Amino acid sequence: MGRKKKKQMKPWCWYCNRDFDDEKILIQHQKAKHFKCHICHKKLYTGPGLAIHCMQVHKETIDGVPNAIPGRTDIELEIYGMEGIPEKDMEERRRVLEQKNQETQKRKLNPDDSDEDDDDDEPGSSFQQPVARPPQAGFVPPMTQPGLLPVRGAPVIPPAGYSGIPPMIPGVPPMMPGLHHGVPGMPPGMMPVGGMMPPMMPGMPAVIHPPVSHRPGITHMPQVPAVNVLSRPAVPAVITSSAQPDIAKPLFPSAGQSQQTVSGSPHTPPSTTSDPPKPTFPAYTKSSAGVASPNADTSTVSKPPSTVTSKAATLTTTSATSKLIHPDEDLSLEELRAQLPRYQCNVRQNTPAAPSVAPVNAVLPPQQLSLGNPIPGIPSILCQFSGPPRGLPGYLPGQMLPFVQAHAVIPGFQGAPSRPPMGVRPPVMSPGGRY
Amino acid sequence: MSLFGTASSFGTGGTGVFGTTTTDSHNPMKDVEVTSPPDDSISCLAFSPPTMPGNFLIAGSWANDVRCWEVQDNGQTVPKAQQMHTGPVLDVCWSDDGSKVFTASCDKTAKMWDLNSNQAMQIAQHDGPIKAIHWIKAPNYSCVMTGSWDKTLKFWDTRSPTPMMSLQMPERCYCADVVYPMAVVATAERGLIVYQLENQPSEFRRIDSPLKHQHRCVAIFKDKQNKPTGFALGSIEGRVAIHYINPPNPAKDNFTFKCHRSNGTNTTTPQDIYAVNAIAFHPVHGTLATVGSDGRFSFWDKDARTKLKTSEQLDQPITACCFNHNGNIFAYASSYDWSKGHEYYNPQKKNYIFLRNAAEELKPRNKK
Repeated sequence: MGRKKKKQMKPWCWYCNRDFDDEKILIQHQKAKHFKCHICHKKLYTGPGLAIHCMQVHKETIDGVPNAIPGRTDIELEIYGMEGIPEKDMEERRRVLEQKNQETQKRKLNPDDSDEDDDDDEPGSSFQQPVARPPQAGFVPPMTQPGLLPVRGAPVIPPAGYSGIPPMIPGVPPMMPGLHHGVPGMPPGMMPVGGMMPPMMPGMPAVIHPPVSHRPGITHMPQVPAVNVLSRPAVPAVITSSAQPDIAKPLFPSAGQSQQTVSGSPHTPPSTTSDPPKPTFPAYTKSSAGVASPNADTSTVSKPPSTVTSKAATLTTTSATSKLIHPDEDLSLEELRAQLPRYQCNVRQNTPAAPSVAPVNAVLPPQQLSLGNPIPGIPSILCQFSGPPRGLPGYLPGQMLPFVQAHAVIPGFQGAPSRPPMGVRPPVMSPGGRY
Repeated sequence: MSLFGTASSFGTGGTGVFGTTTTDSHNPMKDVEVTSPPDDSISCLAFSPPTMPGNFLIAGSWANDVRCWEVQDNGQTVPKAQQMHTGPVLDVCWSDDGSKVFTASCDKTAKMWDLNSNQAMQIAQHDGPIKAIHWIKAPNYSCVMTGSWDKTLKFWDTRSPTPMMSLQMPERCYCADVVYPMAVVATAERGLIVYQLENQPSEFRRIDSPLKHQHRCVAIFKDKQNKPTGFALGSIEGRVAIHYINPPNPAKDNFTFKCHRSNGTNTTTPQDIYAVNAIAFHPVHGTLATVGSDGRFSFWDKDARTKLKTSEQLDQPITACCFNHNGNIFAYASSYDWSKGHEYYNPQKKNYIFLRNAAEELKPRNKK
């Protein structure tokens, strides 16, 4: 990476705190995300420019810069690329970046230490570094790049944890204690190896490592060429290359390289992180923090206490900018729904008997409709009953029976303690219909 | 002229209930309504394969039933048959010759429904609800693949009660898709696994998810030579990732796009983000359709990276969708998907399946 002397190491966007490789890309990003008219999609050059355009052309006023983090939405500040950024914000940014750098090093060296802010490396850290590095390495990149990391002190994006990263910790335990020690106040921004994003709220105890579980899989994958490459681009997925000494760059090492490391090492340390979403994915934005974070909770297995809406309760709000219309639970919609008593399977079938197979032969239509409906779960079939198969290859001979309505339980099975009858219709039903 | 042929008169095709009193928000797109829809939410839709003449639509629902209709050229839908499970049906699929339908249910079983004889028999058993079922037709074998919440993926020869193969997954199966020789399964905790099916199914690669939220639906797409080359993955966070298996330049080729969100450009009102419930690729054009909890469907061109169309908003979420074999018909189901929890469930509310002429609207946009 280039010269240290540059304004801030790497160009970054004042509106959303993202990092970029190049000022040109930064400008393109600003034009597309922050200076784009929401009405006609024209891209302007600056915030005030956008405001003026909306007023003159559409006769509309806008109250803030689109897609900006809270605190950075000032429409009157004329910022273009890195120019125009208020000095104090620059300093703040510099400070934060430094701190992050320190943190990683500190952490390595002195887990008990809780200070930050020091410019010098602790003495004695050096020997530890090489060792520690690799595992930490993964954290470094996010730090320097973060883009999304709100930086402590700076207006923080109310991340509420972040989305999508289940606290899979299996591979990480060793890190954790270290991390915590070092960082009492530090938003575990370091943690997210996942590369994602926003610092976790203190409430998020741990780092998440999404792919941890995947790692094993990956290490054995012989397929090479694209293995990791694939995951990369897509985004902030965690890359599972294993420990490489300092990775500090946004991009993942080439596939080949990572491949090797991957296969070479039996895994462990968190590995490199992926970089935060990059400008190359225009559609993929963090859109002001809000989006992703919302459901950090839903994805995590151990739900942090913070959002807790009553079970199945609707919306999980997150930031002021967006909310996910999905119950705040880690389960899929179908799993939640299937928990309801009305959808419990009336299984007679599982019962005893057997293994299986209950060929069902219901025949159809209309009548069944009316019958079956009111109470789902009832319907039929399935019961094992006897009857000559009728030519069906079938596994259990003797099970098929043309029938309508089922429930009829055939003697023999009835005896079987019908299991908690799921409250349903008395088996007898079957009037007619049985042929 | 056939309704489902090239454009032209699409009249209010004589099917059932149309023009109901209340506002048309249940069918703002004025599409053809399928008669006798299921009585509870529709979980899956599947059209018959090209090997069968005509178009037959199968729908599985939370009312434990699987229904079959014949869709005629003039738009009429005729209910043909129905089968039941003892638990909600979560997925359905057709065999390649169109003679059998496979159904998967919360009752932990999967059945094979022979349409000619109208008999259904159990062909699979899991330890948990079966969420995905697909028919695999390989040159040297054929089988049914079932993915379940019991974290296993099993392959069944329909003649035997024990599976031909059982693969362990890291987590519960949430959705899957198969286009020989590739299969993709997305699991809980954002797991994503690709399998290769040649000779026998085996795990090919585990992929780090391109999305940060729970996976909800997946669909494989093919390249110009009609070989599967990648997949589209949808999450609960209004986003779809387009991911190629072996792209020349992954950073540029793979991407994600946002969809199914309420108007959010205005910074003052929070944006509502809805889950993407299903994705389907047009069999001819290669463009895709997504349907979401917001009650809208959208058509997209992934190569031009543009949106082709977004529908009006229905009054209920859209839970499933599919194209018929030649891409002339797009079917989508309007029913509650539980996205707002049990409080918003109204068992009395009618569920619908709509059919739309898809021949024109899904043509790819020419890349500029």
